[in-house]
Amino acid sequence: MYRKVDVPFELYEVEILDASEEELAKISEEMGLALSVDEMKRIQDYFRQKGRNPYDIELQSLAQAWSEHCCYKSSKYYLRQYLLEASKADYVISAIEEDAGVVEFDDEYAYVTAFESHNHPSAIEPYGGAATGIGGILRDVLCMGAQPIALIDPLFFGNLDTPYEKLPRGTKHPLYLLKGVVAGIRDYGNRVGIPTVAGMVFFDNSYLTNCLVNVGCVGIVRKDRIIHSRAGGAGDLFVLAGGKTGRDGIHGVTFASAELDEKSEEEARGAVQLGNPIMKEPLIHACLEVVEKGLLTGMKDLGGGGLSCVIGEMALAAGFGAEVYLDKVPLKEEGMAPWEIWISESQERMMLTVRPEHIDEVLYIFQKWDVPATVVGKVIPEKITRIYYKGYKIYEMDTEFVTSGPEYCRPYVARKPEKELHEEVEPPADYVKTFMKMLSHPNAAFKEWIVRQYDHEVRASTVLKPLQGKMNFETHGDAAVIKPTRSFRGLAITADVNPWMCKVDPYWGAASSFDEMVRNLVAVNAVPHSFNDCLNFGNPEKPERMGEFVEAVKALGWMAKGVGVPCVSGNVSFYNETPYGAVAPTPSLLGVGIVEDVRKAITSEFKGRGAVILVGETHNEFGGSLYSAVMGQRCHKVPRTSPERLKTYSDAMLESFRKFEVKACHDVSMGGLAVCIAEMSFGRGLGFEAARELSFVELFSESNTRWVVEVPESVAEGYAEFFRAKELKAEVIGYSGGERLDFGAFSVELGEADKSWREGLTKFL
Amino acid sequence: MDREEIKVAVLRMEGTNCEDETVKAFRSLGVEAEAVHIKQFYSDMIRFEEQRSVFDYQCLVFPGGFSAGDYIRAGAIFSARVKSVLRKDIEEFIKMGYPILGICNGFQVLVELGALPGFDEDKPLAEKPEMALAMNDSSRFECRPTLLKKESEKCIFVKNLKKDVVMFPVAHAEGKVVFPSGKEDEYLERLTSNDQIVFRYVDEKGDYAGYPWNPNGSFYNIAGICNATHTVFGLMPHPERAFFGYQVGRREGYGDGYCIFRSVVDYLEKL
Repeated sequence: MYRKVDVPFELYEVEILDASEEELAKISEEMGLALSVDEMKRIQDYFRQKGRNPYDIELQSLAQAWSEHCCYKSSKYYLRQYLLEASKADYVISAIEEDAGVVEFDDEYAYVTAFESHNHPSAIEPYGGAATGIGGILRDVLCMGAQPIALIDPLFFGNLDTPYEKLPRGTKHPLYLLKGVVAGIRDYGNRVGIPTVAGMVFFDNSYLTNCLVNVGCVGIVRKDRIIHSRAGGAGDLFVLAGGKTGRDGIHGVTFASAELDEKSEEEARGAVQLGNPIMKEPLIHACLEVVEKGLLTGMKDLGGGGLSCVIGEMALAAGFGAEVYLDKVPLKEEGMAPWEIWISESQERMMLTVRPEHIDEVLYIFQKWDVPATVVGKVIPEKITRIYYKGYKIYEMDTEFVTSGPEYCRPYVARKPEKELHEEVEPPADYVKTFMKMLSHPNAAFKEWIVRQYDHEVRASTVLKPLQGKMNFETHGDAAVIKPTRSFRGLAITADVNPWMCKVDPYWGAASSFDEMVRNLVAVNAVPHSFNDCLNFGNPEKPERMGEFVEAVKALGWMAKGVGVPCVSGNVSFYNETPYGAVAPTPSLLGVGIVEDVRKAITSEFKGRGAVILVGETHNEFGGSLYSAVMGQRCHKVPRTSPERLKTYSDAMLESFRKFEVKACHDVSMGGLAVCIAEMSFGRGLGFEAARELSFVELFSESNTRWVVEVPESVAEGYAEFFRAKELKAEVIGYSGGERLDFGAFSVELGEADKSWREGLTKFL
Repeated sequence: MDREEIKVAVLRMEGTNCEDETVKAFRSLGVEAEAVHIKQFYSDMIRFEEQRSVFDYQCLVFPGGFSAGDYIRAGAIFSARVKSVLRKDIEEFIKMGYPILGICNGFQVLVELGALPGFDEDKPLAEKPEMALAMNDSSRFECRPTLLKKESEKCIFVKNLKKDVVMFPVAHAEGKVVFPSGKEDEYLERLTSNDQIVFRYVDEKGDYAGYPWNPNGSFYNIAGICNATHTVFGLMPHPERAFFGYQVGRREGYGDGYCIFRSVVDYLEKL
C-alpha cells in the first residue's frame, strides 16, 4: 500500500486509488490519521480526479485539517444554530472567525480574548501540557497584534482523597495532576511575564481519568494595529518566526480528537509539545515591534496541525494560494521526514506575511531579539498549495479542498425530564457540622495555595487582585480588574462554570454558569461586555453526550442573546472520555466586563459596621448544589434563571452602585448565602449577625441572580427600597461586625469557620 | 542636573519582564527612561541609532521578573552576560557615584554580580558573590503583599521616604537572604554599622515577624540592602507595583513605591 518514492529523503506514495474500504481504514489507522472510512473515500475521489496517488505528506495534511480539533466537524452545525446569533453586538470587531475575538475597548483600543482547552496533553504530562496550553493561548492573542495582559485558567480534577488503589490503570492521581498543572502554569506564565489573574479549580470524580485544563488570555491592541490571520496579497513572503521545528507534538490534534485510554501514555507522549517561555518572551516583543512599525500584512500562530494548517488558511483567507520551501524550515533534529516537518506542533512559532520590501527590516528586528526568523514560502495567485523539498515537488492540492473539512449533524438524545425524579431536600440535622463541611469542601475552600503561586501583579496593572481584603487575611474576589491603558477604564475578568449543575441538567447548568459569570462581573462594578466559551464534553459520537452538548449550547445562546452579551470566541473539546466514563458537561465561560473607572471597582470583603443586604430571589433549588453534595441528597432541580431577570437585576445593581455608597459586594454562588457571607467576613475578620432567623433554604439554596451587598447602615433602607421600587427583591438581612457568624438558625465562631475554610484545600497537599 | 536631562536605562535581555512598568514609573516623574536590551551595549549587529553606552545614562535598573528563565539560579545568566561584557563599565559607573537599582530578579543579578552587599568601595564588584537569595522557606513561588520597615537613613533610594513602614508586593521563588554560613553575625555587624540594611519585613503592628509577614524566611527579615556607598540598592519587593495609588487600592495619588523612584531622581538632580 506504501511505495517509497525515489528521492534522497523519506517520501512515500500511498496507494489509495484502488484501495478497498478495509484498506482505507487500515491506512488511516497505520498512519495515525484518525479519519473515518467516509472521509478517506472523499480523499480517494479527489485523487482519482487528479489521476494520481497522494504522498504521505498530503494525507497527513488532510488528517490535520479534517480533525475534530481543527474543523469542528461535530459541533459546527449546532454552534451555528444556537450561538452564532449570540455573537453579535455593534462593538464587536471580530467574532468567531479568527483565533481570538476582538472587541472595542474605547475609541482608541480594542481588547482581544481567546479561550482553549489543553486537556489531553495535561492528562498525560500535566506540567508540560499546562505550560504549552498557556503558550498557545498567548500566541492566539498575540497573532491579532495584541499585547497579552492577563491569563485565566479554570482547572478540573478528580477528588483529591481518591485512594491510590482505586485509580484506574494508566490514570495519574489528581493530586499529582493538580500539582503538575499548577506548576506548569506558574512556571510558564510567571516567566513570560503575563499575570494570571482569574480561574477556578473544581474537583469531581468525573474528571478522575480526564482532567480538564482550560486556558484563557486577554490582550489589548490599538485599533489601527489589529492584524488579521490572512496574507495581504500575491507575492507576500511567509516568514516563520520563533522556535525550531522538531518531532514534539506530532499528531497532537488527532490525539486530541479521540478518547484516551490506558495505552495513551505510551502512544501519545510524542503528541505533547514542549514549551519554552524564554523563546516566547522575546518572540512577543519582536512580534509586537514589527506590528507597531506596520511591517506585516498578516500573522497567525502555529497551533494544532502546525505549518499544515497555518499556511493554507492564511493564503486562502485572502483568496490566494501558497508555495512553500519546506527545506528552509529550521529543525531541532536531523532526519525528519517532510510530512513530520509539515504537521509538527512544536511550540513558540508564529507565521507572518510580509511584503518583500519590508523583509529586511522584519528580519533585523527578529535578529535583534535573538529570535530565529526565516522566509519559508510565498503567496501565489492560484488557490493551490504547493510544497517543494530539496528541489522536488512533494505536495500539490487545492487549498479549498484541504480546508473544506467535513461537517456532521450528529444525532443526540436529551435527558429525561426531571419531574419524573424524586426530589430529596431535607434540612440539616446539625447546621454547624453541615456548614463547616461545606466551607472545608475543596470546591468552596480557600484557593490561596494555587493563586499565590501565580504572579498576578506583573505588568503592574492589576487593580483588583484575585485575593482581596486585609493583608494575610484575604478572601476570594469575584473578578479581577485590569487597567490596560493610560485611561482609568478597566477590564473585569472572571471564569465560571458549575459542573455539578451541568451534570444534573446540562441546560440549566449552562444557563446558571452564564448567570454566575454575569454576577461576578456586576459584583465588581463592571458592565458585562463579552464572553468566550470553552466547551468540554465527552465523545460526540455517543448520542447522550451529544445531547449534553446541544442542551448546553442552546442555553448559552438563549442567555447570551437575551442579556445582550456576545460570545466572541471559543473552543470545543470533545472526547474527554475514557472507558471509565465521560467528564461532567463543562461549558467553561470566560467573562469580560468594562469598568468605567477602575478606582470605583468594588471588593468582596466586609469593611465593617455596615448593613448587609441580599438582592435577588431565593427558591428551593438544590440540584447540583454544594449542600446536596455534602448531605448526600439527590436533588434534580437545578436553579433556574432567565435572561430578562438577569438583565433587569444586573442593570439595577450597577445603577445602585452609582447612586449609593457601597462598601462591599459578592455574588451568591456555590454554598448559597451562608458561604457567601462567610467569605465576605473572612477578608477582614469581621463577623455577621442576622437580623432575623434565616431558613436552611435561604441559607444554602444556590438560586441564581443574587448578590450580597454591604452598605453603611444609614442608607440600608433606602438601598433596599431602591430595588423594591423597581419591583425587585432586596432585604436587609443583617449587619457586619463582631466575632461570630450568626445566621439565626445557627451560629459559629468566626475564627473556627475561617480555619476550616482556609485549610479545606491545603489539608490534602 | 535638570530633571529633563536625567536618563535612566532599564536593562533587558531575553526573558526579563518588568521593564515596561519600571520605565513607566520613571517617566511619570519627568525623566527620560527607556528599556535597553543588553545587546545594544556591545553587539555589532545592532544598527548605529540603536547602539548605547552605559555612560549615556545616569541610572541603571535591573528590573524584576525573570531573566533567561532562571533555570540555573535566579539572575545567574543575566549577571554572567553583564560581567562578560560590561564589568569595567559598571564598576566605573558605580565609582562615579551613579545609582543602580535592582528589583527582585534585579536584586538577584546584583548579588550574583558581586555588587551587593558591596562592602569594598574601591572594588564595587566583588570577585565572587558574597551572599545569596535562596529558595523561599515555603519552597514555592509566592505573590503577596508585604510590609517593610525603613532601616537606613543613608541609602539614596529612601531619602525621600517619610513613612516608617511601607507596603510593596513580592513575587518570587528565590528571595531568602542568606550569608555565608558561620559569618552571618559578622556580615550583619558590617551591614548595620554602615547603615546598609534598607528594608526589613514586619507585621501589621510594625514588629519583625515570621511567615507570611516575612514571605521567604530571609535572615534577619532582610528585604533590601544597599552597598557601602549607599548608591547601589537591591530589594526583593516590587516598588513599581505600588507606584500609583490605583495599584494598591487608593483612589488618588501614589502608592508607597513612588518614594523610591522620587528619591533617586532627587539625588540625581543634586549631582
